[in-house]
Amino acid sequence: MWDLRTPSGIFFVILGLILGSQGVFASGARAALTTVNINLYVGVTMIAFGGILLWLAKRAS
Amino acid sequence: MTLTIADYVIIALYFAFVIGIGWLLRKRVTTSADFLTSAHSVPLWITSLAFVSTNLGAQELIGMCASGAKYGIMTSHFYWVGAIPAMIFVGVFMMPFYYGSRARSVPEYLKLRFDEKTRGFNAITFALMTLFSSGISMYALGLLFQLLLGWSFTASVLLSAVIVLIYTFLGGLTSAIYNEVLQFFLIVLGFAPLAILAVVKAGGWEGMAARLPEVMTSSWRHMGNPADNPMGVEVFGMVAGLGFVLSFGYWCTNYLVVQRAMAADSMSSARLTPLVGAFPKMFIPFIVILPGIAAMALAKMAIGFEIPQKNGGYNYDMVLTVLMSKFYPSGMLGVGITALMASFMSGMAGNVTAFNTVWTYDIYQGHIRRHAPDSHYLWVGRMSTIFGVALSIGAAYLATLYNNLMDLLQLVFGFVNAPLFATFLLGMFWKRATGHGAFSGLLAGTAAASLTHGLTVAEGKGGWLGSVHVFPSTMAQNFWIAIFAWTACFVVTIFISMATRPRQEGELKGLVYGLTELPREEGVRWYRRPGPLAWVVGVACVVLNLIFW
Repeated sequence: MWDLRTPSGIFFVILGLILGSQGVFASGARAALTTVNINLYVGVTMIAFGGILLWLAKRAS
Repeated sequence: MTLTIADYVIIALYFAFVIGIGWLLRKRVTTSADFLTSAHSVPLWITSLAFVSTNLGAQELIGMCASGAKYGIMTSHFYWVGAIPAMIFVGVFMMPFYYGSRARSVPEYLKLRFDEKTRGFNAITFALMTLFSSGISMYALGLLFQLLLGWSFTASVLLSAVIVLIYTFLGGLTSAIYNEVLQFFLIVLGFAPLAILAVVKAGGWEGMAARLPEVMTSSWRHMGNPADNPMGVEVFGMVAGLGFVLSFGYWCTNYLVVQRAMAADSMSSARLTPLVGAFPKMFIPFIVILPGIAAMALAKMAIGFEIPQKNGGYNYDMVLTVLMSKFYPSGMLGVGITALMASFMSGMAGNVTAFNTVWTYDIYQGHIRRHAPDSHYLWVGRMSTIFGVALSIGAAYLATLYNNLMDLLQLVFGFVNAPLFATFLLGMFWKRATGHGAFSGLLAGTAAASLTHGLTVAEGKGGWLGSVHVFPSTMAQNFWIAIFAWTACFVVTIFISMATRPRQEGELKGLVYGLTELPREEGVRWYRRPGPLAWVVGVACVVLNLIFW
């Protein structure tokens, strides 16, 4: 039996990498009402979240 | 709103993963029980998140944000009054009978406890309702993407429906539930940043409170009189109508959510599912309601943010997507759109998996072909998944042609649903209740609901039999329809039950309180026991109500 945390973890790490690289390489991209580099912050959060899921899955197996 | 390559990559990645999860789970399906009910195999953390996620459809996200903009923090009543108490009740008191009996579905419980006609009434109306509600949400999603992104209505309806079909067809209920967890994470990570950005921009809670009328930032203070608050509802209507009848009717008897808990791997997990799910549920208002309130405050700040208009009034349903376009650049915009799709799919998959089970076990096996080998029912389950999706697509197109018909259908389903909790309450806790009693109670409750609608008027709705009373809002009308329906069902069930022959007590073992051995929880740590956990949830919910009083 595989663990749902593994595919979910991989999904959020990849998504985080895509978003994070948008935040780094297109760092000027902003929507109208904010000055926050939201792509970078959410990207990093997603990588961390995905990493935690993968770590939990590894620990359980 | 325009999407770039990065946004499309994110959407494609999501599609690949939901289908991939279905593909990985396909080998676990060998019997009809694996496919339709997950055969009691899913761990607690997954069932509890799925329990919350399946209710978190796209219409819920958009609608709750819209209500936040329209009514303010009073919208939290739909969570802290209209969900949490019922989730506690179903976990602590009702799950032992659902999970402990041989019933595979909620209608089947009615068959075991009462009789075939009560089950048939519930199964058929429920099956129709799931099809129409997934059709209607598909219609709403198609329209939204057409308006927002210029996508073709047919393309978005077909694409989203086919993806849901693929993963539910491959892995059955387990696949739907596993994907609901992924979808839940995505919804939270996709919308929480929007809530934070919008609220911070609006000056935090204090900034919003300073810019908006006081009634927008207090949840209970203006509920003494319906004229004092924008919902037009008073405390009794809110607590009895929403908090008791509608909420308990939904969370305790709707197979869509109960199915998730019944898929759990043990009795204890099944009972804990709604209780553990209550923790994330309690905090969802911060993600979906606060952005709506923040939008109203932002509109008063002269920073170029305006609430979209429609027919001379505010178009509240667009608030969420307008916020997204103003706060999310390419990248996060893709995540936000994907999260909307994810919420749509979790809602639709919930409907489809509930439909195929009720169709296969309660309608097909119950009435059409009784004694076939299990492989036949597995085949019927798979086929009904395809038919269910096809009929939902049909319903979505019907909605484009006859919008009024859909409103009427939703109204009628509301009449049928309103009295349900009275039937289950008496069935589970009063051994004297009989099948004839339950059935006539349900009919009487439905009739009382239609009669209340026919005799009262609110915002020009109802009153087709005359006007005895005028409600300040359709919401108040709905709550009172529910109260009358429930009361009629409760009273008629008791009277008819007393007049008809009760069943032998031996037949009711495992189905009724007092004749069922309740699960023992000795030697289990307190946080793994339903009782103490229910107290923690209850106290946390009261505290939230007091903070936003």
